[in-house]
Amino acid sequence: MTVSEEHTVIQEPQQAPAARQLQPATTARTTATRRRRLGEHQIAALVLVTPALLIIVGLRVVPLVLGAQYSLTGDGDRNGLFVGLANYRTLAADPVFRTAVKNVGLLFLALPVAVAIPGILATFLFLKVPGHRFYRSVYFFPVVLSPVIIGAIFNILLSVDGPLNQLLGVIGIGPVDWLGNPHLAIVSVIGVHIWATFGMALVIFMAGFSTLDQSLLDAARCDGANLPQTIRHVVVPELSQTIQFVFVTTMIGMLTGMFGLVYVMTAGGPGGATYLPEFYIWVTQGQLNSPALASAASMVLFLVMLVVGLAQIRLIKRATKEV
Amino acid sequence: MRERGFTRWIVAVPMCLLALATIYPMLFTLNVAMKSRREYVLNQFSLADHLTAANVADAWSSSGLGRYTLNSIVVTAGAVALLLLLGSMAGYAFSQVTFRGRKWLFLVCLGALMIPFQVIMVPFFRVLGQVHLLDTYPGLILAYTGQFLPFTIFLMTSFYSRIPAEVVEAARVDGSTTLGVYRRIMLPLGRPALLSVGILNALFCWNDVLISLLVMQSEQHRTLMVGVTALRGQYSDNIPLFAGGVLVAAVPVIAIYLFFQRQITDGVTAGSTKG
Repeated sequence: MTVSEEHTVIQEPQQAPAARQLQPATTARTTATRRRRLGEHQIAALVLVTPALLIIVGLRVVPLVLGAQYSLTGDGDRNGLFVGLANYRTLAADPVFRTAVKNVGLLFLALPVAVAIPGILATFLFLKVPGHRFYRSVYFFPVVLSPVIIGAIFNILLSVDGPLNQLLGVIGIGPVDWLGNPHLAIVSVIGVHIWATFGMALVIFMAGFSTLDQSLLDAARCDGANLPQTIRHVVVPELSQTIQFVFVTTMIGMLTGMFGLVYVMTAGGPGGATYLPEFYIWVTQGQLNSPALASAASMVLFLVMLVVGLAQIRLIKRATKEV
Repeated sequence: MRERGFTRWIVAVPMCLLALATIYPMLFTLNVAMKSRREYVLNQFSLADHLTAANVADAWSSSGLGRYTLNSIVVTAGAVALLLLLGSMAGYAFSQVTFRGRKWLFLVCLGALMIPFQVIMVPFFRVLGQVHLLDTYPGLILAYTGQFLPFTIFLMTSFYSRIPAEVVEAARVDGSTTLGVYRRIMLPLGRPALLSVGILNALFCWNDVLISLLVMQSEQHRTLMVGVTALRGQYSDNIPLFAGGVLVAAVPVIAIYLFFQRQITDGVTAGSTKG
């Protein structure tokens, strides 16, 4: 504890009686102390922050730069050679990658649904329907389960002779090949993803609702606003930041959180119909042993993420103001 | 907001249906896991004849799930310990210590949030190979730490900035150093935050499949979630046995959810309302 003893000595002048603070000598000494304390702060802060920064820079920032560089080199016997944008041209011509990009388009189409469902539910829960606590727990539950487990459960539920088709059979709808039909499979996977994650957005919406100014709601009621009017003119504008946040995080979740589902439910099939960029990267790097091409696909995904992330940057800026 | 009984009913019906749609797939799987193969083929919806864990036990013993579970526990525990240590240290510095470059370094940490693992997967694999950490516990622990550290720092910073500056000042007047404050104030006062963040991270690591698939190459180092994906091929003709294996992997998470529900949602919402 030598460090803390030393510090006690440094601290002493600051505790000088208040009456003497006006004297120039003491003021000078206090400033000196403050400077030395900043020095101690500085060293301590570096000790606290350096390990984390090393890991973040070494395991995330550096690989990102390396990846950008790999994406401009060749695979196989051209390993390490600069090939310019050749990989990007290969990607543009690859029908499997095109399907992956098309499926990202589908994700964007599904986004409003993935936000609206939890938004409406959160409104209901906010209105304190009976059993709202129970509902909240139930809705959130799939969020904590691994996509692998969820994928496995839905593999059972959606199989051709599985329970869902048996139920549909009862009302006279013939068996649907949920995961084997190339047009339907990706829709099934996206549907399961929304099923599994809407609880997350719901909880975020509810946190937003809890910051809602109750007096605004009272005022709206005094003015005789009905429920839809209240939602449109009070709730939506007040929650605009939350809504924005949910849109961004849901989209990022779709772009980066579906690997497990695709891997377990369809393995990219049938015929490459359920490829998403992340799955394409994984297959190209591992199975096809073309890391440079996979890096190029990574960069394309990163670009998409950056576009989505522009909104996130605004949110981060708001957060850093607190520091 | 006051609502009339009529509106309540209109709302209650879809909410009930959705709750059913959320919970039923899990209950169905639980039921299937207790059936025999014959029972399942005859009627998928009937309740299992008797409560039995035979399928779970069979799946456990015949597929190496025990070994995978152990791997998952080792890797998750290691990563969570490292994440909490590094995350709380940095979070304390960013929230309570004034130092030069604080804003910039914090921005680096937050900026890393926007680099998904998918994007750095290829070079990450190469780098890990070069330092001979592929297919090792430390390799996967490091991978998880790198992956979840930015989020952990973000959460710890926002939790720690709620501790009033006066508390820290008082400790300093009593003679604590900056590092002493970490040990004597931040760690004890931050216990609820550490619990919340630790459980969230444990779930992330436990549930991951992509990173583990990439780093752990040999069968003996497989984590549980990767093991579950292999069950599908193994038991494709015996759904109840497959369901039993899935259950093995799901039970720890279900237990954690039942015990720590509040901490989990606290962690999630702290990450959202702050930014």
